[in-house]
Amino acid sequence: MKKAVSVMVLVAVAALSILCFGNVASAGEEIKMVGVITKIEIAGADAKTATATLKDNKTEQPVVITVNDDLTLDKFKDHRIVEGDEIRCKYEVIDGKNVSKLFRKTAGC
Amino acid sequence: MSKKSVTAVVLCLALAATAALAASEHPGKESIEKNGYKGPETCEECHPGTAKAFLDTVHWKHASKVTNVDNLNPKLEYGMKNRIYVMCNGNDIVNNLKEIPKSPITGKSKFSGCNTCHPGNHLSDVGSTGPAAAAAVDCLVCHSTDYDFRQRKPFKNEKGEVVMGQDRSVKAALAIGKPTVKNCMVCHEAAGGGVIVKRGFTFTKDTDAHAAKGMVCVDCHKAKNHKMPSGHDPNNWANDGVFVSCADTSCHGVKPHKDADLNRHSAKIACQTCHIPRTGGAFAKDFTVWEQTADKFYEPTTLKKEANETTPVYAWYNGTVKNTPHFIGPKGSRKDGKSKITPFKIFQGRAYYNKQTGQLLSMDFAQPMSSGDTRAGVLSAAKTLGLKNPEKIAKEAVPGWQTVYFGSNHLVTKTKALYCANCHAPNGVLNFKDLGYSDKEIVKLTSPELYMEKVAKKQKEEW
Repeated sequence: MKKAVSVMVLVAVAALSILCFGNVASAGEEIKMVGVITKIEIAGADAKTATATLKDNKTEQPVVITVNDDLTLDKFKDHRIVEGDEIRCKYEVIDGKNVSKLFRKTAGC
Repeated sequence: MSKKSVTAVVLCLALAATAALAASEHPGKESIEKNGYKGPETCEECHPGTAKAFLDTVHWKHASKVTNVDNLNPKLEYGMKNRIYVMCNGNDIVNNLKEIPKSPITGKSKFSGCNTCHPGNHLSDVGSTGPAAAAAVDCLVCHSTDYDFRQRKPFKNEKGEVVMGQDRSVKAALAIGKPTVKNCMVCHEAAGGGVIVKRGFTFTKDTDAHAAKGMVCVDCHKAKNHKMPSGHDPNNWANDGVFVSCADTSCHGVKPHKDADLNRHSAKIACQTCHIPRTGGAFAKDFTVWEQTADKFYEPTTLKKEANETTPVYAWYNGTVKNTPHFIGPKGSRKDGKSKITPFKIFQGRAYYNKQTGQLLSMDFAQPMSSGDTRAGVLSAAKTLGLKNPEKIAKEAVPGWQTVYFGSNHLVTKTKALYCANCHAPNGVLNFKDLGYSDKEIVKLTSPELYMEKVAKKQKEEW
């Protein structure tokens, strides 16, 4: 019994740690990241949505971001934002998608 | 309605539609389709002399004579071309577009320079003149809504010279017209080292009352012969000699409110004070310490906020500017008869100062961007500017801070404008003491006595 209780306590502590300190996004939570675009997928000049894959500078993992705002879509269309650009991004997980709330090039002149 | 009347109405509608269509389409389409687009030469078929005239504008020269700023030589021109201050510690001269030294970590290089936004091809650069310069003007970057920005990248030509590419395609040329917000923001949104760094605003329907009305930048900054009207920002020195103000008769006039009490305010309070209660962008930078980025190059350490995320500071401003090595900001007083209480975006930056003279030094970004070595940037700039003993200057340079007041002239709001109690209350938005009011006056200025009766009456009417 003692062993079972210890295991349960350990599991609870581990779960709590993940919830508190883990980088796992939950719906509605705004996540910030900086990363370099490795891929942009947009379907033509009239597209109302696009995806951009960013390589997270901290984790080096790819993160696929869904972009719906007109200003950023326009920057994809006229290539003001292209693959290789470093991006400062805020996103929320909505229906399993990382939906962009802010998508800005870090560079300027 | 008779058949004749119906026919007349239909004809009128058809004519109106045709006229509207013709008005939205720039003439010359057939010529461009037939002959191709050859740069300014093509534009000049209908706009003769325009390219040459453009060479005499601030957009091309990045400088002009400046008459309202202390400690400047009235015979010389000042602007992004040659200014030394702490938002952009480089300028077009010392931080000219070039390939920076290879990163000691990655062995890679890249192009960088303050003049990347200049609308020439870099061979004809900031302030250049003559036929080659006129032919190098990138008309379409400001006038086309279908510009391919993959073309506008620096590259080296066969002579090893750095050239800024341009999109001179027929496709881009067929999409010309009055500059849109996007055309202006291509350069203006990323000035100072990144998006919303320098000016701290976006011009969208969510952030600006004028944008929400469908207005574009050039509706207020209405240029004539490419001379662009600007405001009186204490930190925006170069100008085309033409200015824009909210109070212009074609805009809001000197009595913009229905309420006489509010109009009385506008004699001493700038419109922006109530109607631009927020600002944003960079609030501090350190050019003496550069941070490594993901690509292993370096950038100046920059602290910043989004548009509308910071609050302005307020000061009396009469349109003239104090300019010292540690301060650039408004001059004015309550009693000079010209000043108004005006909001400013406050910014502080650290950079190197000349130990001997106390003057602020400028920096070539190539070296610090490559290796983080900021003194190497100071040395390169000192050499470019022909300073005596550049090695000694760079070695002994002393870090120091400069405070800069930027004009806060965008992010206009009607619905979230300041109201009576924002200012006329203890610890309100305005620090009346700092603004020169006596203790006795402050007691009066911070009491609801000033507005109680009137606002109570209004509140009753509204509810």
